[in-house]
Amino acid sequence: MAITEELSALRDDTLAAIAAAGTTAALEEVRVAVLGKSGTLTGYLRSMGQVPKEERAAVGKAVNEARVAVEEALGARKAVLDAAELDAAMDAAAVDVTLPGRVQQRGTRHLINGIIDEVSEIFLGLGYSVAEGPEVETDYYNFEALNAPADHPSRSMQDTFYVLDRSGDAARVRGESDVLLRTQTSGVQVHCLEDQGLPIYVIAPGKVYRRDVADPSHLPQFHQIEGLVVDEGITFGDLKGTLDYVCKQIFGPERKTRFRAHYFPFTEPSAEVDVSCGICHGEGCRMCKGTGWLEILGCGMVDPNVLEMSGVDPERYSGFAFGMGVERIACLKYNVPDLRMLLEGDMRFLRQF
Amino acid sequence: MRVSLKWLSEYVDVPADVKALCDRLDLTGTGVEGVEKTGEAFDHVVVGHVLTCEPHPDSDHMHVVTVDVGAGEPVQIVCGAPNIAAGIKVPVACVGAVLPGDVKIKKSKLRGQVSCGMCCSQRELGMGSDHAGIWVLPDDAPVGAPIADYLKMGDTVLDLEITPNRPDCLSMTGMARELGAMYQEEVRDPLVAMAARLPEVTAGDDVAGTVTVEVADPARCARYTARVIDNVKVGPSPDWLAERVTAAGARSINNVVDVTNYILFLFGQPLHAFDYDRLVGDDGVARVIVRAAGEGEAFTTLDGTDRVLTPDMTVIATPERAVALAGVMGGLDSEVEDDTATVLLEAATFERGRTSRTSRNLGLISESSMRYERGVDDNPIDVISQAAAALLAEVSGGTVRPGVVDVWAERTLPRALEFRIPRFCAMMGADIPRDFIADVLARLGCEVAVTADADVLAVTAPTFRPDLEREIDLYEEVLRLWGMDRIPATLPGSPKRVGTRTEAERTVALVNETLRAAGLNETMTYSFAEPADLERLRLPAEGLGEPVELLNPLNAEQSVMRQSIVPGLLRSVSYNLARGVADVQLYEAGTVFAAAEGRKKPKERKRVAGVLAGAMGDAAWNRPRVPFDFFDGKGVLESLARELALPKVRFRALAPDEALHLQPGRAAEMMADGAVIGWVGELHPLAARAFDIEVPVTVFELDLGALVKAARPARPYVDVPAFPPVSVDVALVVDEGVTHERLVQCMTSAGGRLLEDVRLFDVYRDEERVGAGKKSMAYSLTYRAPDRTLTGEEVEKAHARLIAKVEKATGAEVRG
Repeated sequence: MAITEELSALRDDTLAAIAAAGTTAALEEVRVAVLGKSGTLTGYLRSMGQVPKEERAAVGKAVNEARVAVEEALGARKAVLDAAELDAAMDAAAVDVTLPGRVQQRGTRHLINGIIDEVSEIFLGLGYSVAEGPEVETDYYNFEALNAPADHPSRSMQDTFYVLDRSGDAARVRGESDVLLRTQTSGVQVHCLEDQGLPIYVIAPGKVYRRDVADPSHLPQFHQIEGLVVDEGITFGDLKGTLDYVCKQIFGPERKTRFRAHYFPFTEPSAEVDVSCGICHGEGCRMCKGTGWLEILGCGMVDPNVLEMSGVDPERYSGFAFGMGVERIACLKYNVPDLRMLLEGDMRFLRQF
Repeated sequence: MRVSLKWLSEYVDVPADVKALCDRLDLTGTGVEGVEKTGEAFDHVVVGHVLTCEPHPDSDHMHVVTVDVGAGEPVQIVCGAPNIAAGIKVPVACVGAVLPGDVKIKKSKLRGQVSCGMCCSQRELGMGSDHAGIWVLPDDAPVGAPIADYLKMGDTVLDLEITPNRPDCLSMTGMARELGAMYQEEVRDPLVAMAARLPEVTAGDDVAGTVTVEVADPARCARYTARVIDNVKVGPSPDWLAERVTAAGARSINNVVDVTNYILFLFGQPLHAFDYDRLVGDDGVARVIVRAAGEGEAFTTLDGTDRVLTPDMTVIATPERAVALAGVMGGLDSEVEDDTATVLLEAATFERGRTSRTSRNLGLISESSMRYERGVDDNPIDVISQAAAALLAEVSGGTVRPGVVDVWAERTLPRALEFRIPRFCAMMGADIPRDFIADVLARLGCEVAVTADADVLAVTAPTFRPDLEREIDLYEEVLRLWGMDRIPATLPGSPKRVGTRTEAERTVALVNETLRAAGLNETMTYSFAEPADLERLRLPAEGLGEPVELLNPLNAEQSVMRQSIVPGLLRSVSYNLARGVADVQLYEAGTVFAAAEGRKKPKERKRVAGVLAGAMGDAAWNRPRVPFDFFDGKGVLESLARELALPKVRFRALAPDEALHLQPGRAAEMMADGAVIGWVGELHPLAARAFDIEVPVTVFELDLGALVKAARPARPYVDVPAFPPVSVDVALVVDEGVTHERLVQCMTSAGGRLLEDVRLFDVYRDEERVGAGKKSMAYSLTYRAPDRTLTGEEVEKAHARLIAKVEKATGAEVRG
């Protein structure tokens, strides 16, 4: 048999084998048997040197044709088999997508700090910085420098925790001391006025202490966010505008604010701020005790005495200060029914926020 | 303060709309804490006409009466009062009435006789103290008329919160003035007319011969006046007087005491009535001395309490003994009693600070002390005393002894202030008319005059307003009465402000984020602690300072400030476990306190602590439940180290005696760049048990300040590798005592520049295969050069050198 006929037969056999291959592995066996190192077709290619010169062109052509045909067939068959095998593999890998996924437990922020973060962001946006102050204060920073000297009647408004004074100084009132747990974050105002250059735009969130037995609506330790602005040309209108903006940011744009004249030793004029009740929208309900309003902060223009004591000229500068209760916001915004939950560390409470 | 609107309306027109009045009061600075309507309690109480009155058949003192109550058929009532009689008119509480004290009137039977109501005494109606019998009404009382209407009892009493700067508002006349300014209404001050009812007292001066007043220290008592009223008959007050003091919140006691209270409520001037005879000495002269109390001086106040005084306090005394605690409370043995015939009436003013301190030191707050500590004006005292004496004589049948002793050592003068209108308007951010300003200040009692400068008003503040000391005080007055709601809202216009977070704040935020990313939930616990907390935790107190002690703690469990956050967190673990929550992951960042002898204020440090109990979560279909152990705690700290880019982080094993609170062998100290950051470990079972915890707890506590200090927030860029790495795995068999840290140190130093990473991937122990007391540590070593692809020979050479050094240094053997 002539070589060309042999080649023709080999080609036909190989194409049949390719068509018959059911898996990519079987197909690979066919390829190796024909085109591998010691494959049949490879043998012809290698032995071209022994083919007589005059036949060489024709045989060469036949070998090449056979190789091209086989390679094409292999390629085509492989594509078909690959696709089928991929489908089969994916079929086998299908899952019940309603099974639970793999979740990384992420921890939660405490509600109070969450509110402090939120309020801080609002004030950062308004151009304020954040300050801190000590929780154990001297009488000077908590009262005196805030225009409430010893025996000032406003002092009996707050029940103060007094701390053993280890310096040996004696207090004028029995059972009291020159060192105390701060009853308000307002002392930070004084630190800021003493330590910072003007203008001042600052808030000071922090823990404060009052001698109240813990019950659903009182805690002996809670949080305030103090604010202080001192600059040229600050007006009572600026105070109103700022707090109105902040209240709307916290509680929602539909809420209203109202300013009630009040008294604080370190601001004058002073006011308390109410936000309209979110339940009854001002009609009066149980939440707001029928008034339509919820008290949320105290504020006022910085008293000139406070500015003067810290070396700021009240004829040139004016300012405003405010303080809001963070737990109060927690109650109003998140309906926390019992403030003591904030200090229990109950995982089922903490993980809600 | 309780303000009866009926009473108030004698001095100023009170708006009929109580709700609107309350709103206006609230907005102008007088908080309304309660609104009480009296007279409503007397529904179903009417004027009745007794038609018949027969003795009760089964009682020797009761009567059965029929009463016409203006509702058709007369009703039958059983009555026990002795003065009941046919023909009289009486208040009758019909069925359905509820009398003061929540007495409900129902149809009942008394010893077999039906009773459909009750004939009332004054006291049963809560009016006065007369309980002797039925209240017999005048004959012209209309039968069937509601008693509240007939007696004009209907009243509204406001409970007002008077801020400490407004002593003037602690009086009816002061509130009348306030309403006058609020509503631009005229005010009718009764003082002059009341004083005028005592025209004779200035004629003679009999008092001067019988009473002397000596004020030892004028700084304690700016003015002291005394008058004497003779032939007093102490007895019940007239109805109008009892009604007034009751409406103001006091109890009607007797005519003398009620007059002093009436004047106090009316003018804000505390008075004290002494039994004159108890003050008079052997020579017939009453010597009143205002002096400092002696150290330890004993005194019994009229509430019967024995007090021990200090020199800070002021007493009213005779030469023999103290008779009153000045400005706070009278003494038991000189008070007016039923047989008192002569009254010495004190009207004085005492220094604010000492009164406040006395009141706070003794825990004794009275209507008097409340007013004195806010400031009582010395100027009108003589006139008020005159008015009071006149009234006292009228209601007690007494006569006023002519003359007054008046020691006026320090006179308060009105303050002259200026009011710069443009500055005021600029500071408020609104144009408030000059006319309004002048009018409202005048209504508040100021004298307002024009000056050469049209922009400036000359204002003289009245002496009854001690709070009006400066121009700004006047601004507040005008603003609150103008209405804060009328000021347009603006934002500060300064271009100079920028909102920034400091580096430290950002680092603390990153610490918080990292802990939460590690699955820990932030909590807050009490800053208070129990003194035994550290001992209970077995935490060495070294370096934690002395505890900060509270002088007035709420309870023993919260009597000091915490020195560690851990005890609070352990209480929360216990709280959760007790409620069936087994998986607890908590952290808290907060302040701890360290006092030191001789130092006034303690050091405050920020700490962050965490506790892990149970596991991160329950087992799931695709995830086993892995209980927390030491390495979970350490892993949290390693995450922090990575996120904060802490330099040279080391964990040093803590010896058992260094960390008694931790389980031996599972305790480590975290260091960064040689500085101690904190500790981590599994809690010692005994410490856990002391907090009622019976499960393993992994705990850490770090110094937040040290973390912030060590953090390297800005990290320089390092080239991303451009050439491939070569990984070589090696298992080293070493003695148990050889630590991972030691092996890594050896490998790192021996590996040279080519060794990029050392990763432990297995620890294997087997007595047979590895040997007793030995462990096999399997490491994956990564070699790489930054500038070329490493050849096989280079890696083999470096690795062989590394192995040789490690073997030599640690006695390790390479496991085949």
